[in-house]
Amino acid sequence: MNPAWTLTSAFAGALLVLLLPARSAGWSRVVALVASVIGALAAAGSCLTKLRHPEQAAWDLDWEWIPQLGARFHLGADGLGLVLLLLTGIVAIAGVLFSWNVERRQRAFFAYYMTIIGGVYGVFLSRDAFLMFVFYEVVILPKYMLISIWGSTNKEYGAMKLTMYSIGASALILIGLVVAYAAAGGTSFDLNHLARANYAPALQFWAFPILFLGFAVLAGIWPFHTWAPTGHVAAPTAVSMLLAGVVMKLGAYGALCVAMPLFEQGFQEWRLMIALLAVVGIIYGALTALAQKDLKFVIGYSSVSHMGFILLGLAAANMWGLRGAVLQMVSHGIIAGLLFGIAGRVVYERTHTRDLGELQKFDLWRSLPGAALAFTLATAASMGLPGFSGFVAEISVVVGVWQAKPWLLVGVAVGIIVTGAFSLRAMQRAFFPVRKAGAEPPAALPPLAWPEISAITLLLTASVAIGVYPMPWVDLINDGLKSPLFETILSLP
Amino acid sequence: MNYYALILQLLPEAVLVVTALVLLGVAVTTESRKKRPLSLDVAIAITSLGIAAAGFALYRCPFTIDCGSALIVMDPLARLFKCLVLVLGLLAVLLPPARGEIRHPGEFYALMLFAITGLMLTVGTNHLLFLFVALELASLSLYLLAGFSGTARAAEASLKYFLFGGVSAAFLLFGLSLLFGFCPALTLPAMAAALTAGPLPPFAVAGLVMVVVGLGFKLAAAPFHYWAPDVYQGAPATSVAMVAAASKAVGVLVMVRVLLFGFEAAGGAALWGSLKPGWSLWLGVLAAVSMVWGNLLALAQTSVRRLLAYSAVANTGYLLVALSANGPKAAGTALFYVIVYGLATLGALAVTAGVERDRGDDSLGSFAGLVHRSPLQAVALLVFLTSLAGIPPLAGFVGKFAMFSEALTVSATQSSTGLVWLVGLGAVMSAISFYYYLQVLKQAFVRDAGDASGPVVLHWAHRLAMLVPAVLVVLLGLFPAWLFGPVARALEETLRGW
Repeated sequence: MNPAWTLTSAFAGALLVLLLPARSAGWSRVVALVASVIGALAAAGSCLTKLRHPEQAAWDLDWEWIPQLGARFHLGADGLGLVLLLLTGIVAIAGVLFSWNVERRQRAFFAYYMTIIGGVYGVFLSRDAFLMFVFYEVVILPKYMLISIWGSTNKEYGAMKLTMYSIGASALILIGLVVAYAAAGGTSFDLNHLARANYAPALQFWAFPILFLGFAVLAGIWPFHTWAPTGHVAAPTAVSMLLAGVVMKLGAYGALCVAMPLFEQGFQEWRLMIALLAVVGIIYGALTALAQKDLKFVIGYSSVSHMGFILLGLAAANMWGLRGAVLQMVSHGIIAGLLFGIAGRVVYERTHTRDLGELQKFDLWRSLPGAALAFTLATAASMGLPGFSGFVAEISVVVGVWQAKPWLLVGVAVGIIVTGAFSLRAMQRAFFPVRKAGAEPPAALPPLAWPEISAITLLLTASVAIGVYPMPWVDLINDGLKSPLFETILSLP
Repeated sequence: MNYYALILQLLPEAVLVVTALVLLGVAVTTESRKKRPLSLDVAIAITSLGIAAAGFALYRCPFTIDCGSALIVMDPLARLFKCLVLVLGLLAVLLPPARGEIRHPGEFYALMLFAITGLMLTVGTNHLLFLFVALELASLSLYLLAGFSGTARAAEASLKYFLFGGVSAAFLLFGLSLLFGFCPALTLPAMAAALTAGPLPPFAVAGLVMVVVGLGFKLAAAPFHYWAPDVYQGAPATSVAMVAAASKAVGVLVMVRVLLFGFEAAGGAALWGSLKPGWSLWLGVLAAVSMVWGNLLALAQTSVRRLLAYSAVANTGYLLVALSANGPKAAGTALFYVIVYGLATLGALAVTAGVERDRGDDSLGSFAGLVHRSPLQAVALLVFLTSLAGIPPLAGFVGKFAMFSEALTVSATQSSTGLVWLVGLGAVMSAISFYYYLQVLKQAFVRDAGDASGPVVLHWAHRLAMLVPAVLVVLLGLFPAWLFGPVARALEETLRGW
């Protein structure tokens, strides 16, 4: 199947939802689900084709668009892009399923939702920097609307903060891209063209951090991560999943596929700095998560910590590091989606609290055993236990860092230990409280519904599949990393 | 002098003037009878027909005519912009004033037509004195239009506009007279030719500064923008639409013509590290001040019309960034941007006017729950404001991105930083601007309407004035080459003729 179906199905879905008449608004979730499934199938099909015929030329679509600027409508997908498309597809389906119970302004909700999905697909498919930036920015406004209309805790503040961080980061990206475009002759925005150009070292030294930071803010780099926890907590469940699951990956993807290949020498100069910030992010995120009272905040800060591994893998800049970073993008996308889904939808919609102390009263492992089981597995995956995707990803990053800068692993080790601590603490407090003898039995909660069960199953299966048999994913990512974009980066000392 | 060619060239303007006279005649005859005064709908219809007829005359005007003087020229750029002025003018005409706001529609629309005529003449001349006269024809009409509703606010707006405009005209005229001392021909080609002989003498430099200041007033560049907020707030929406869209587009075109065509050699440079005195540098400074001042003050506004005024100042700043690069490609992007900016602002004003008439004022709170009361208006507002903020896939984004990238390309080499200080400032200020546009959108989409009344019904012309720009902004965002191509080609061909 053609990877373009991902993009088309998402935007067509958004449009179709908007065109639904008011009396059949209930169909909007069905339309969204069908569109998401088509997208995911297209991505999966393309992945399979690629695995079966690795020698086949990558899919490519190149249309004239704005000749005056040298911007083309150029889409393409190598293994790296395909893996991330598949991640987006999976998270998109799970998100629709987890928002099956959205009743207020349904059509608008799913239209914004599918627009985000389409934008994310677009970024992963773009081979032209201008086009990529277009898709990158398309995501911003729907994010704001979804959080500020359907969100919870402090939603308008959280939405505005997240939006202003995103738009500020976009301004940095714009400056970086425009500088690269102008310095490369001002004729084309093609990524390969921009990456091939020779930029003066002095220019690279200041242009790289601007461009990289623009992307890294969206990836939650410390100390510009604060939008993430507040935004994730304020957002409705499906949007938290999307934000942590795929939108943050846009930042990491941009850093890997745009910032680093364009200004390799600049990257070399700033590499250590990035690695240090990443390690600080890993430890800081984990420690902050340890101190949270709100279950969603725990997950929000754990995302900051896990995103640190991605940045660390990028900074390692060797095959293991980059591959680990991409694997971590996929793995964290799935696991964060799962955790947010359980905390925000399954638990919160029934108990109307996310406070770890309050949740103890509900004795969730008795009243909601399915959720407790799923959350336990998700926590295990998040901690990086073998058999889950997190283990494969983090071990690759660790090997990569070992080859590049072994002493950084001291910080990583601290981070991993604290991660174990906060994960177990949150899980125990929320789901397995110690019951006092004679306490009154917890109120009965409605059991899990089919959309919840299927979404949880989908995400858990994906995580276990990667953890048990990572080879197809590794093959695809290796294929992507063979692209000329990364040649220089991989040969850096 | 070929009179036939001259008549052919001026036919569109002549049609406009005749329509205005017809309108006045009808107004006078119906008003004297007292029974059935000229209705708004009829006035709008006659004016629109006149503009359409002028458009037809323009379309039939043969491409290459030379009536042997720089007074009236019909180069590709003039042709394109006359056409665009007609489109933007028509959209402004379609935006009807509020019920009872205008007591004499005949005079009002006749003035609108005179303003359009002035703007069209301004576009098609290479002669500085004729340029001044045409510009004043447009400006005098606009001063009157700003105060036409007769309220205290409108009177204040009109007076402020007139006083600032008068001062700017004085600057412009004094500057032109100094330039006349440098080259006694007053046509732009003659100026350009004289410049090849050597640099500008000091008094001519002073003249050029004054010309830039005078044009800066017209474009509402900070610090010459003080008239803008009051005019945007106090004047009838129809007049504001004319000031904000057509008049601004013409201002940018005049800047391109005078500075880039006539005085290219006196440009200097606004490049970081190698600043050279010249209009390029002055525009760079004006751009920086406008972007910072306009955006920061817009943050504090609670009246949406004033907010749009400060956004106009900020957008002038972005336009001046591209113009200060002193390159034809960058100028082309500025011309593209000013058109899409004009469409978006005009549309935003139309929506604001609709809300204002429904709720009584244009404060942010009046927009609350717009999406429930009038989904069409809310979606149109979303399109306009996100385009102004530079969010894809709308035309404003493409324009802004193109301006920034071309401004940098003109100046950049593989290591030079060139105009990056201005472009960087522009990108950052543009990000900040999203905050205040989002304040309006937040009211319209997120907040509940409260006790507001039911669905809003708009005048048919009002609906057109809102929907046509919305569709254009979306289409030009998806397919920018449709406008980019003609603008770039016209600019290139016109430059080749120099």
